[in-house]
Amino acid sequence: MAAALRRRSLAYFLLAPGTLWLVVFFVIPLYFMAKLSLDTEIPGTLHYRFVWEWSNYKEALELYDTQFVRSFIYAGIATLLCLLIAYPLAYVIAFKAGRWRNLMLFAVVAPFFTTYLVRTLAWETILSDESPVTEFLHAIGLAPGGHILATGFAVIAGITYNFLPFMVLPLYASLERIDVRVLEASKDLYASAASTFWKVTLPLSLPGVVAGTLLTFIPAVGDYVNAQFLGGVNNRMIGNVIQSLYLTQSDYPAAAALSFVLMAVIMIVVFVYIRFAGSEALMGQEAA
Amino acid sequence: MRTRARQPGRRAARSVAAAVAALAVAVGLAACANGIEGPVEATGAKVELENKASGTLVISNWPLYIDKKTVPNFEKATGINVEYHEDINSNEEFFNKMQPQLSAGESGGRSIFVLADYMVAKMIKLGYLQELDKEALPEVEANLSQSLRHPPFDPERNYSVPWQSGMTGIIVNKELAPEVHSICDLFNPKYKGKVDFLNEVREAVPLVMKCEGVDTEKATEADWMRAIEKIQSAAAEGQIRRFTGNDYAQDLTNGNAVAVMGWSGDAVQLQADNPNLEWRMPTEGCMLWSEDMIIPVGAPNPTAAEAFMNYVYKPEVQANITEYVNYVSPVEGVQEILVKREPELGNNHLIFPSASFTKNCSPTPTLEGEEEKNVIKAFDEVLNG
Amino acid sequence: MSATPATAPGRGALSAETGAARAWRWLREHAVNIVAVLVVIYLLVPIVVIFVFSFNNPAGRYNFTWVGFTLTHWAHPFSDSELAKAMLTSIKLALLATVVSTVIGTMMAIALVRHRFVGRRIANFLIVIPMATPEVVMGASLLSFFLILGSPALGFTTLLIAHVMFCISFVVVVVRSRLIGFDRSLEEAAKDLGATPFETFRLITLPLIMPGIFGGAMLAFALSIDDFVISNFNAGTTVTFPLYIFGAAQRGIPVEVYVVAMILFFFTVAAMGLVTWQQRRAERMTAIRPEQEESDIALPGIA
Repeated sequence: MAAALRRRSLAYFLLAPGTLWLVVFFVIPLYFMAKLSLDTEIPGTLHYRFVWEWSNYKEALELYDTQFVRSFIYAGIATLLCLLIAYPLAYVIAFKAGRWRNLMLFAVVAPFFTTYLVRTLAWETILSDESPVTEFLHAIGLAPGGHILATGFAVIAGITYNFLPFMVLPLYASLERIDVRVLEASKDLYASAASTFWKVTLPLSLPGVVAGTLLTFIPAVGDYVNAQFLGGVNNRMIGNVIQSLYLTQSDYPAAAALSFVLMAVIMIVVFVYIRFAGSEALMGQEAA
Repeated sequence: MRTRARQPGRRAARSVAAAVAALAVAVGLAACANGIEGPVEATGAKVELENKASGTLVISNWPLYIDKKTVPNFEKATGINVEYHEDINSNEEFFNKMQPQLSAGESGGRSIFVLADYMVAKMIKLGYLQELDKEALPEVEANLSQSLRHPPFDPERNYSVPWQSGMTGIIVNKELAPEVHSICDLFNPKYKGKVDFLNEVREAVPLVMKCEGVDTEKATEADWMRAIEKIQSAAAEGQIRRFTGNDYAQDLTNGNAVAVMGWSGDAVQLQADNPNLEWRMPTEGCMLWSEDMIIPVGAPNPTAAEAFMNYVYKPEVQANITEYVNYVSPVEGVQEILVKREPELGNNHLIFPSASFTKNCSPTPTLEGEEEKNVIKAFDEVLNG
Repeated sequence: MSATPATAPGRGALSAETGAARAWRWLREHAVNIVAVLVVIYLLVPIVVIFVFSFNNPAGRYNFTWVGFTLTHWAHPFSDSELAKAMLTSIKLALLATVVSTVIGTMMAIALVRHRFVGRRIANFLIVIPMATPEVVMGASLLSFFLILGSPALGFTTLLIAHVMFCISFVVVVVRSRLIGFDRSLEEAAKDLGATPFETFRLITLPLIMPGIFGGAMLAFALSIDDFVISNFNAGTTVTFPLYIFGAAQRGIPVEVYVVAMILFFFTVAAMGLVTWQQRRAERMTAIRPEQEESDIALPGIA
């Protein structure tokens, strides 16, 4: 019993700093935000009264449903693209890269070191209406209006690009720990390459897939920068709305309410997803 | 059999740390070496300031909005130690991050901000600004240009002193859209999808109101809403490619757009590399705006702040700033100086517009109370699709 | 076996393959590699563009069209002292935030995966929420909180606190996916051989979960150095690199910004190269020992 107690206190000890940090610097501020979302403004003063103003929430849901739906669609497509693009890369880094492994991992994260704005400007140059890239994409039918920028495609492309590392790294971490001998055994047992992949590799990498998709999808839904710079009219996402409510309209209660609605919807989607993917994969119910 | 882990991770971490330290030192040295440039000039620094201004002055301004010599010269002339921070990158974001402190009467240690006139108007109404002591600002009283003396939001300039000014009009690609000369021309279906509008409600909508023949200084809420609707349908039809801040610059340069609502200062920069681009005064007139220096409540050193404001209104000092920034100077007397030093700049009508050039231009309109809320909300909905 | 004559001399069914069929087979075998290389190219394309434009020589203050080649900006990249300061601040901040959040996050991940305790679900939940929160909300609420606490020293410290806060979740998720399904038999073997739990952790577990920790750390560093919204709210007068650029962008993007971005990039390449070289050296040294068993559990070091 003493051992179990020691184990448990070890768990709490390990957990303490992180939990404390998050509670103090995240949960508590959020609580104040929650209060704010139920405030109403004393007109013209930017001071608030707490009056259980649920209309903030009602408005949030009614006025911005288009942007909500749009955000989930854009983020969903981008996440799927990320998964399709990232998996081969993570696979190669984990199994075939050998001495190039670190370099390739670095290539994945490298774009982040050039700052978001500079990256976006570079993409705006690459995807500008008269660039060869755009003309090529137009030729193969991917740019119906003749231009990529200022469309939903550009926004999705931007989200995909910016969140790729979030997908690659967990996938890699998960794939890398698969014992190569298991794969070899599968081949020895006459499984084709495809069969090995679907029946052995993929299931074993599922924690990585789940982690990656969540790490990508969740922040992507709330993203606003891509829509702002790469999108046109009618491409704005819910993150842009929250930004504008906050900054342009200075309507803090509405912004807070909308943020909580967004968080709630994301949480629901996440729970459904985890249930579907098997909570084991995410929550790791393997405590021995 | 025991195999000992060599902990290569830790070793590697140490070398990374060493590399970082080395780079930090190198960067630090480079920064020192190439730091604030040039010899401190003695020109124009001879006037003694009347107040006994002293101590430390903390200024918050936008990046790239001042030349390199003004601050050191000021420090030399007055003995005041200046901490010049370029930490303003958006009026709204700055307002929002300062708002809690300002409403508690604090300024976060700063004594001067430089913000756009509409934000200054907002702050005046909220009581976040200190009134200026005109006696400490003789140069301002003498040299402030006429068109900026009595803006609607601060009619006696009791709270704000313009830092730089500018004109909002249209920037046009001469080759691809030669006949665009007015705001109304921006709605010409010939340029569908190749037009950018500004995302700032107090600039885009008044310009469109001008197209409708409305006097922006007397516009009613109905006028605003009508103009917003016009913009809304243009957006829905695909006439407007997108709503931008100054990122229209890239659209113009890359040929994504052929005519945009744009700022005069940007045009000066764009034209340097792209002579096809031209800022045009719309036939209906332009919007004249300024970004103003203000002293917030709770400012630790308002006397020094006023000394600074006064100092930069000396024409010789201002000439240095205008030469670098290339926006419209709010100080009279600068043109004469620059015409001799840099005739190209001195004769540029975008930097020194004549009174007749701007005869149809209007100042940034003020919106108040419910009208402000409704207008901003309506325009926001157009932006957010 | 095939109708067309063999292109290669020899006998048997294999030599009857046509050139095309052989090419197709090669393609199929290396498909994954090819895709991976394409992806890497895709990731690096904007960097190439930035690199090229860092040599541009525009007369104005915008850097969108190619005007001419020059090395001046590379010669004096830090001529704007504000830019240099901002860069240094960002690097310092990112390094510190990475170290702190990686340590804390790894500890949390281990606790969440390996131990069963009351409040486990809540802790799991707590990790996911920060990722779901819009950055504006996180930034603004944290700012109000600091002000309520009455600590007006907004600056590096508050930035650090904020950065660690949003990095922890990501580190936890990455490390956790590495820990799940981890082969415990190695640890049990170590225990059987008399290692204390701490020794087991230090010598067996830790090196083996290093890829996850490293991945989490890299992600944390990248997030921190690139952060804009939360930093904007909590930085006071401190200016980080992204903050500086967004502000400068209102008047144009000086070429120096591109140069500094590339310097940061190359510096990280150098750091990575150093790490890889260290790792190879370590591997070579461990390979000298004759009794070392050549197996897949060879200590992987960093990666």
